[in-house]
Amino acid sequence: MKAFQYATALTTDSARELVADNGMYIAGGNDLLGLLKDYLVTDPKILVNIKSLPGMSQIEPGDKMWTIGALVTVADLEHDAGIAKVFPGIHDAAMEIASQQIRNVATVGGNLAQHSRCWYFRHRDIQCLKKGGDMCYAREGENRYHCLFTGNTCISPVVSSLGTTFAALDATAIVLRDGKEKRMNMAEVYHLAWENPLAHNSLRPGDMIVRVEIPTARSRSVYMQVSDKHTFDWALVSCAAAAEVTDGMLSQPRVALGSISPVPHQVEAANNFLDGKSLDDATVSAAADMILKDAKPLEHNAYKAPMAHALICRTLLQLKGNA
Amino acid sequence: MPSWPTNPKYISGDTRRIDGPEKVSGRARYSSDIQADGWLYGMILRSKWPAAQITSINLEPALKIPGIKAAITVQDGERMVRFYGEELAAVAGTTKQACLDALLAIEVVAKPSPLFVVNETEGKAPDAPKVWENASNVDASSPREQGNVDTAFGECAAVIEGFYTTPVQLHNPMETHGSTASWTDNGLTSWASTQGISSVRDGLAGALKLDHSQVRDITEYMGGGFGSKFGPGVHGVLAARLSQAAKAPVRLMLTRFDEALAVGNRPSSFQKIKLGALADGTLHAFEFDNYGTAGIGAGAATGGGGSGVVLPAPYIYKAPNTRVTQASVAINAGPACAFRAPSHPPASFGMESAMDDLAAKLGMDPLELRLKNDSNEVRQREYKLGAERFGWAAKYKKPGSSPGIVKTGVGCAGAAWGAGGPSRRTQGEAQINPDGSIEFRLGVQDLGTGTRTVIAVVAAEMLGLKPDQITVKVGDTNYPPGPGSGGSTTCASISPTVYDICTKALDQLQTQSGITDARGDNWFAACKKLGVSPLVVNGNWIEGLSTKPAYGVQFAEVDVDTETGLVTVKKVVAVHDCGLIVDKLTTESQINGGVIMGLGYALYEERVMDDLSGVVLNPNFETYKLSGIADVPDIDVILVNMPERGVIGIGEPATVPTAAALGNAVANAIGVRVGSLPITPAKVLAALGKVPPVEKT
Repeated sequence: MKAFQYATALTTDSARELVADNGMYIAGGNDLLGLLKDYLVTDPKILVNIKSLPGMSQIEPGDKMWTIGALVTVADLEHDAGIAKVFPGIHDAAMEIASQQIRNVATVGGNLAQHSRCWYFRHRDIQCLKKGGDMCYAREGENRYHCLFTGNTCISPVVSSLGTTFAALDATAIVLRDGKEKRMNMAEVYHLAWENPLAHNSLRPGDMIVRVEIPTARSRSVYMQVSDKHTFDWALVSCAAAAEVTDGMLSQPRVALGSISPVPHQVEAANNFLDGKSLDDATVSAAADMILKDAKPLEHNAYKAPMAHALICRTLLQLKGNA
Repeated sequence: MPSWPTNPKYISGDTRRIDGPEKVSGRARYSSDIQADGWLYGMILRSKWPAAQITSINLEPALKIPGIKAAITVQDGERMVRFYGEELAAVAGTTKQACLDALLAIEVVAKPSPLFVVNETEGKAPDAPKVWENASNVDASSPREQGNVDTAFGECAAVIEGFYTTPVQLHNPMETHGSTASWTDNGLTSWASTQGISSVRDGLAGALKLDHSQVRDITEYMGGGFGSKFGPGVHGVLAARLSQAAKAPVRLMLTRFDEALAVGNRPSSFQKIKLGALADGTLHAFEFDNYGTAGIGAGAATGGGGSGVVLPAPYIYKAPNTRVTQASVAINAGPACAFRAPSHPPASFGMESAMDDLAAKLGMDPLELRLKNDSNEVRQREYKLGAERFGWAAKYKKPGSSPGIVKTGVGCAGAAWGAGGPSRRTQGEAQINPDGSIEFRLGVQDLGTGTRTVIAVVAAEMLGLKPDQITVKVGDTNYPPGPGSGGSTTCASISPTVYDICTKALDQLQTQSGITDARGDNWFAACKKLGVSPLVVNGNWIEGLSTKPAYGVQFAEVDVDTETGLVTVKKVVAVHDCGLIVDKLTTESQINGGVIMGLGYALYEERVMDDLSGVVLNPNFETYKLSGIADVPDIDVILVNMPERGVIGIGEPATVPTAAALGNAVANAIGVRVGSLPITPAKVLAALGKVPPVEKT
């Protein structure tokens, strides 16, 4: 990697000042160090350690809303008894992330902001569209892990399991931008990646995710993924669903899928369709059809459509089941 | 004739690794741990192009980087490169970062060629770009025919046709390839991570025009080798040359990225099989058309053998009418080399899959079909033992008859390993000291499989001592020469050698001491009578205590989720023989490892190359997927001890039938064949007809 300065910030203001125009924040560093070692990010002149920023490492319960600090580790989420009870989907998503060692240092903010895992993007000797090159190699190439949906030429999917789950829970990320707090839902956090191949989320240089707020309006949530392997493997497809369930009837249902689009894949029409429904096999299958309707499979990733269909049905049926 | 003791105390028992405490405490020094005085890091610059003419390489900018002490090219003048990752130059410096910076600074002037091919199916087309200017990409043998195949298929009661494919499998030992080299006026010392210390010494001497006596390799501990760590390799020679240029020791260990490119691999296979049987299940006709790739060639960088594309067919079976056609296709990719049981796992996967498909067509139990057609008595016995332990009779159901969304299936397959016999040139020595301590010195190496423990067990048995009373030194070319550890030959080479050393040592000790039986309780008294001079005894491999080959069968049970395609392995029963078992614990460990490696081959591992750029897309453990602990099932090892056969190696047969047994279990579960390894969720869903066709854009 190239040489850089390193500083530890004690306030968000000083962090922003230190990072200036050409620095980057570092917390767990899992993603950033990999990018630096393979020369994949624009050379930061300074890495600003934000792990000592106060008040960002707590999980705070609340009646209407829980707050999760951006520096809370994935392991914290996994082991928090309150999260497991109130947001079982978050618990399950956290458990599936990487390995125990990585979960111990990976943070919520870093998980949301992590970069593309596309093997063309990550390859040191390939200058692909996402790196400012002139073509997406995956489109006509090895695209087994890539998108069924995209709004641009790049087909690298979002892989944040937490982003997918937060989307289903209608969570809000609070992003510090130019000294002000900006509230973004998950669609907004990732929107830019939908239209711009150079982006992997909507954050601007100097933006810092400081916390995530999760409404308690949906008492049930589920997360599932399918990978090639049983653990420590990326999802081929992931799916999260959340809703309130009263007498078997859903209210405020939300479904989101990961690893099939540059953004957590959500179809409002399907959410509306499910609202007020009592779930059975036919209903969940119809919802899955709606969610996957405009999928555009490529040569090697068409399997993701039936896999996603199965996961949508399973998460919804489990939503109904896990009282 | 010599013979092994009939009521052994340690042989065939459970002796823990004598070097276990060294390893778990971190005291064991692996090749990658070596820190010679004043050592430098070494790194290799590789081709970014799959095909190019290299016009010039300017090392000057690298030499200006602070901390860089040497920079060399692999070869002077203009040259061609034929695969992405081919070695171009190397640097040595005081820090890793200095070396990385130096690699970026080297100026390579190249004319990249758009004419390359990294896919073997495309590579065999007549108009494909040529990998070698003056040779066809396709090296085809003329068909081998026996009987009259075309007539014979007409006589069969059932005929199946299948297409079975296996990917290029990468070598990924836990310790990467590499060494520390120290070249001084006194000669060259290498600490290599190697399977053959003698081959490293001889290879370095040959490449660098040194006398064998000027080169020494020391490999106390190394982190695994499966066929790709013979000889010094390109990296080993570069380490030595860098050391000469920098006048300091150089440690050049490859990175995981490097490992995916140029250290050798297992060739792919694309097997078209037509198989027919008479009504009673007797195989009658077999037609086999196979091609695969060994990259730019076989064994180029590694000196390993048996790395070709040609498979034994019809593997462990016989048919009176056969036609076999095979072709090796050159592509612009790293060369193949030996890989644990070269050619057997793909051969087993193809043929054993075809056997199960034939059994399904005949309406026969596939185990019955095997017992009917496998003439080998040892495997017959192993199938029966395994079937009983596995519960085959109760578990086997017709293909696809498992109810529900998650379906259960079972499968089995057999192995043969023709090698596993001894190297007759093996030598060793023991030094017996007047205080009763004894040290064995053999110029072999321990791949991590328990070489030291085997030596200690045999010596303890012969001398009436305990294994932990035996000091064992291996891994140094200054010791009497031993074989490379390949072909599962080490155990059958060293066990008779240690037997011979012990017999001679006892003879001499008894003569010198006047004690008629110096073993056991008398040992220390006899040694004391040596006075002040230790006794040093040489021995060598002797006839009658080792043989070959080994067999083996495995049974597997899997769950297949028919909605997600995920395969979960629930159970593997592995029944193996290796003649006289020297140590049960380390033998079982070898078989566990073989099954786990076979599981990776079956479900996860595959080198993926990009047609357009020619690079390896998965040079890391993120996307080159290996079995993890959560993927590994309960492995039940049944050892068939056959002392009357003498010692035989076990390393390779243990990994041969696993993929075939798992593939058959998947087919049995879902009622359709996934004929392509690795069996991923995507392929399972496709086989089940659940993946809609994609419209070409």
